[in-house]
Amino acid sequence: MTTHNFYFLSAIGIFVGALLSIAGYYYSRGRPSPQVNWEELLKKLTWIDRNTIAQVALDLVDESGEPRQAGDAANLEPAQLWELIGGLKGLEALETNSDVLIDLAFYLQQWYPEALVIAERLRLDARELKWHVARLKGAAQTGNLQVSFPFYAQRAVVTYYLMTRRLLDLYQAVNFSMLAKLQEAL
Amino acid sequence: MHLTGIDFFFWAVGFLENLGLLFVLWYRRLAKSFPFFTALALLSVIRTIVLYFVLNYGTKQSYFDTYWSLAILDTMLQLGIVYEIASRVFRPVGVWARDVRGSFIWMVGLSVTIALGLSWLASPPARTWMHSFVTKGTLFAAAWMSELFVLMMALSISARLPWRTHVAKIAQGLGAYSLVSMLIETGHSYFGVGGEVRTFIFLSRIRIAAYLTCVAYWAIMLWREEQPGRAMTQEMRQSIFTLQRQVEYHLHQLRSRKKL
Repeated sequence: MTTHNFYFLSAIGIFVGALLSIAGYYYSRGRPSPQVNWEELLKKLTWIDRNTIAQVALDLVDESGEPRQAGDAANLEPAQLWELIGGLKGLEALETNSDVLIDLAFYLQQWYPEALVIAERLRLDARELKWHVARLKGAAQTGNLQVSFPFYAQRAVVTYYLMTRRLLDLYQAVNFSMLAKLQEAL
Repeated sequence: MHLTGIDFFFWAVGFLENLGLLFVLWYRRLAKSFPFFTALALLSVIRTIVLYFVLNYGTKQSYFDTYWSLAILDTMLQLGIVYEIASRVFRPVGVWARDVRGSFIWMVGLSVTIALGLSWLASPPARTWMHSFVTKGTLFAAAWMSELFVLMMALSISARLPWRTHVAKIAQGLGAYSLVSMLIETGHSYFGVGGEVRTFIFLSRIRIAAYLTCVAYWAIMLWREEQPGRAMTQEMRQSIFTLQRQVEYHLHQLRSRKKL
């Protein structure tokens, strides 16, 4: 066997090994046991005070989820916001929870394919939330966190708040038996 | 070219299996949903007939040209199936999922680069540059296809985008066949085309057997009905599409609680 062929076969070996590992990993990840999955998912949720989330969110949006008018909006001071949200750590918890919310929607979607619209909406919301948090992390690195925090953090909270509402409504809409547990967790 | 009994057997089985698959696609009314996949099955039937006649009445060169021209068309249709599957999985509500668009482009770029790298590394012992080019080309196509299927599966699971049963079955079959093809093409690249004739024929037969298994798998799986989801009642549907009102209600409720 020539050196060139040795390199070629080694590269193929690594390539096939990597492909099989990726396929195996994601295949097993995509097929969790439904019964275990629900309880496991709920356990993944980090506890966050729902009243605090509502307080921060309602400071920026009205009852229909639309932004408030200029004079009526953003009454919370930056220091208050920082305290209520719990700084960047609090936002990171929201970010982690947003992934779990999508998993919970996906869980339901396995039985009700029509729930796809909501699951898709939640995925886009989570994307928006992560974008806000990423901006803040960037600002923290450049020393501009204090200036940027009130703007991005409050929007991230609004997004998270609406996500939880959408998910609860989805579970309520399909009369899912686990709604009570979910309400408790959120 | 001398053909043995096993070659004729593969030919006949391939022809009948693809006809069967076409019947399933027509009977289950899936042809409209999977146009590229249906075209691939149709091409397999046509290819069997055309190559049979070219082999018996044409020259060796005309057989070579026809075989590889149809192989290129086959690969293009397989890429069409990748698009077909991707558009089903990553466009769940009619528009491409925005959050996976970047990853998808990145994924295609990376997979092409890796497949090009592998085919560049291959140095098949070949008598003509055309043989070498064809061997490298088929290795590239097989590597790229297998990468696309695996990465597409990874991306969809990461983004929590579900696969409908029939789409998943087509992808599983083609993904597995691409991986086997990849290994076979590695063998062709190592042993060469036309050099070790026995090895070449042996590897080709394994590839054909894998493809026939795949076609049988598709015919059986597509014949079966898709696992039906629970249908929402009219009441449920209304609840889903009037979510805004529900949100309004909850916001109001929580707001009153805050005032207390």
